[in-house]
Amino acid sequence: MVFRSLQRRIVVVFIGLLTLVMALVLALVANRSQSIVAAQMQRELDAGARIFQQLVEQKRTQLETTAAVLSADFGFREAIATQDKATIASVLQNHGSRIGAKVMLAIGLDGRAIAGTREGEQPFPELLQQAIEHGKRAGFRKLADGKLYQIVIVPILAPRQIAWVAMGFPVDDIWAHDLAVTTGLAVSVMAVSNEATQVLASSLASDQRTALESDRGAGGRVLDGEALTLQLGDAHYRTLSLPIERNLVVVLQRAQEQVQAPFNALLIALVTIVLGGMVLFCIGSYLLARHIAGPVNTLAMEARRIAAGDYAQPVRDLPPDEIGQLARSFDQMREGIAAREQKILKLAYEDALTGLPNRTRLLQEFDARSSQHGAMAVLDLDRFALINDALGHPVGDRLLTEVAARLARIVPPGVLLARLWGDEFALLIPEADERVGSALAERLLAGLRVPILIDGQRLDVGGSFGLSFYPRDGNDVSTLLRRAELAMYAAKKKQVGVMLSEAVEHDPPHEQLSLIGEMRDALARDEFVIYYQPKLDLASHQIIGAEALLRWQHPTRGMVPPGMFIPFAEQTGFIREITPWLLNRVAGQAAAWRHAGLILSPSVNLSALDLLSPVLVGQVQHLVRAHRLPPESLCLEITESALMEDPALALAHLDDLADSGFKLSIDDYGAGQASLAYLKNLPVHELKIDQIFVTHLTTSPKDAAIVRSTIGLGHALGLKVVAEGAETNAELDWLRDAGCDIAQGYGIARPMPATQVAGWVAARVAV
Amino acid sequence: MTDRWCGDGRASWLAAWLLVVASAGVVMARPAQGGGLIARVTSPAGFAVEDAAVVLEPLSGTVPPKHKQAVIEQKDREFKPYLTIVQTGSDIDFPNRDPFKHHIYSFSPPKVFEVKLYGADKPAKPILFDKPGEVVLGCNIHDWMEAYVLVVDSPYFAKTDATGRARIDAVPPGKYRLRVWHPRQKKEQATGEFEISSKSSEANLTLDIAPRIVKPKPPLGADRDSY
Repeated sequence: MVFRSLQRRIVVVFIGLLTLVMALVLALVANRSQSIVAAQMQRELDAGARIFQQLVEQKRTQLETTAAVLSADFGFREAIATQDKATIASVLQNHGSRIGAKVMLAIGLDGRAIAGTREGEQPFPELLQQAIEHGKRAGFRKLADGKLYQIVIVPILAPRQIAWVAMGFPVDDIWAHDLAVTTGLAVSVMAVSNEATQVLASSLASDQRTALESDRGAGGRVLDGEALTLQLGDAHYRTLSLPIERNLVVVLQRAQEQVQAPFNALLIALVTIVLGGMVLFCIGSYLLARHIAGPVNTLAMEARRIAAGDYAQPVRDLPPDEIGQLARSFDQMREGIAAREQKILKLAYEDALTGLPNRTRLLQEFDARSSQHGAMAVLDLDRFALINDALGHPVGDRLLTEVAARLARIVPPGVLLARLWGDEFALLIPEADERVGSALAERLLAGLRVPILIDGQRLDVGGSFGLSFYPRDGNDVSTLLRRAELAMYAAKKKQVGVMLSEAVEHDPPHEQLSLIGEMRDALARDEFVIYYQPKLDLASHQIIGAEALLRWQHPTRGMVPPGMFIPFAEQTGFIREITPWLLNRVAGQAAAWRHAGLILSPSVNLSALDLLSPVLVGQVQHLVRAHRLPPESLCLEITESALMEDPALALAHLDDLADSGFKLSIDDYGAGQASLAYLKNLPVHELKIDQIFVTHLTTSPKDAAIVRSTIGLGHALGLKVVAEGAETNAELDWLRDAGCDIAQGYGIARPMPATQVAGWVAARVAV
Repeated sequence: MTDRWCGDGRASWLAAWLLVVASAGVVMARPAQGGGLIARVTSPAGFAVEDAAVVLEPLSGTVPPKHKQAVIEQKDREFKPYLTIVQTGSDIDFPNRDPFKHHIYSFSPPKVFEVKLYGADKPAKPILFDKPGEVVLGCNIHDWMEAYVLVVDSPYFAKTDATGRARIDAVPPGKYRLRVWHPRQKKEQATGEFEISSKSSEANLTLDIAPRIVKPKPPLGADRDSY
């Protein structure tokens, strides 16, 4: 059985155990009392029987003595000696009454009755014979009157024996009662024959005597001397029988009920105590159970309250026992849970480093916003990755903390400032229009412009803001953040500090977005392939090099042009993984060509991120050593914009590369923010004129002028000049005439897979 | 059973057998000196029988009266002697030699009498035994006291001593009926004819008797206190 209630279980267990114990006690007492009663009855019977036998023996001796004394009476003897029957009868009567003998019989030595108190009394030949042999004899006989007598036969001596005298003493109910009183048993004498059972004398009440008499079966068993229990009326008698003569049995009986009575009283007392005890136990265990279960239930309620999130109320005070201790532990647990929940909430909604709200909090705040419109601003620090790489993460972290603190000081109330990840922060500016949002962004940028001092180092931290607006740009955080991020990238690219979402193109096509996601897998699956576009030495007509161009052989979209993914690789930083791969492949290819006798200097484009990477120089040096290439056989192309991010660091890296013997080339010269000052300081060997000038060379005198002057400038600075996008022979001729050193473009060859380069070069020579 | 000693001696065939035994005794007898009889009574096992009465009753002629007084003392709470044989018509004196009284009686048909408590001073006169027969004497206050008187119609009788011998002297020669009797004899002895010559005769007689059962006699002190 399962009890859901502790209280009920306690009560049931208590009562159950008590009942069990009491039942055992009662069963034991009942069982033992049965056997004790049986044993006691038997003991009493046995003792009674011994007493009875002793009494009967005493009685017999007494009677014999009495009879002997009487028989010695001179007058008696004299009368017997007279042989006068009348006299003898008279003296028998007289002397018999003296000793209480109801029957007196004088018997001659020949065994014949001489005279008696009754007519026709038989002279007990058997008893007489025994008396002749033993001198005297006593026995029980049922006489003609139907009554039982104890007969004593003694000789009459004068002084020689002259006769016998038999004296009969009545064995009646009085006799039985006397013996019953002394033995403590019911005494009956029964005549048992095959035909009938007769109770001749008994101490039993008349109805029980009748029952004993009418119990036909009992007679035989009694005669057998069998110990048995007889039911007489309502009472049960343990019965013992002592045969005293043939067909004559003394039945001694002990009433079971009488012996049983004290035990029954004991049992009743015990049952009363048990029942009383059970009632007391019921009450006691109920109270105890309530005392235990009550506080437990209270505690369970408290636990449910805490589970529901109500940590404020302390657990109610409970008794100073184990339950109370449990309650106090509960309370400590409640406090612990409350504290931990606070902590978890903090961790969940707060940026651990800066203490600002995190992205999750931003999402929550936006979802809970009350404003119908507003702005979402994204701030990305400039050159943070550089600082992080150069000075280590601890410095980077402190910088971020400082920046966060500065921003937080400026941010007005009602505006949520959050750190999204890395060096990117976001602001939720409710109710803000473009003007208010821009103004706040400018103020924050101004705040950041003050250099930050960390460990004595001055760190210049700039940033770029992108702003999107709801509901115009969208009504979900991710859309707003993406728009703002795109604007931020644009601002970073254009170095304008702040840009609004409307100023940048809308989202790149979905195709493009998915490509960005697939780029990483593409590298692992080796989907990127390298095409080479030959570079022609215009003076010698020799192919002296080839620009390595990245293509994406997409499994489903086919060949993806670099313009579709390179800018995003640069924006997302993925370019940092692509470039080393590219460099490695190109170096390997150069070595292969060289091994095949084809001396081609491949050139590889480096992005701004590559250029700022502190490991770049080491990587490249390692490559040429590994492939046993002379450093000058590898040309590294950089754009002016790549330099703009961090000119000082970029310049330092470029110096290292140049010192290592690598050839350096300025790509897309003239299209970006050309700075002659840079050109003067950069340790480059080559200048690549942007193809926008070359394409219109033959038709635009201005472009021709720019190209011509650029060639002159390059040569003046000691640089080789390369023209990109030369598509026609006329252009090639023009360029050769203008003194341009090298040309590259469809006019010479389209980009081709590495495997085709050797064949193409050979074929060209053959022409 | 009826083989106890019985007054009427009905079993005639047994009597006949005993007669043969007695006759054998007669055959074996030899004449005694001076007209007397020396009888020896033994049990069938051969032991001497004491206190047996041996009586010669003349078959012819008259019996000369030989009135004689016998004495049976009561001494030490006993009758002395145990057996007394007297001729019919004899007086027996019962002197009390004890310091206390006795109460002697007889319910035997030949002589029923009673002498109530009497002391050392003897009763007024001796008791006359005037009928032949066996008389058993008892004392009413001392149950164990027992004595026998055999009253016979002849002056020729004797009782055996411890060796079982009895001697009858001065018996005139002639024919006699020889009778042997004992208080505890198991059967009435048949009489046999016996001739007495001038010389003494001898007779070997066989008699089966029951052993004497002496009734318990309380010690005197107790007796004195009790009685």
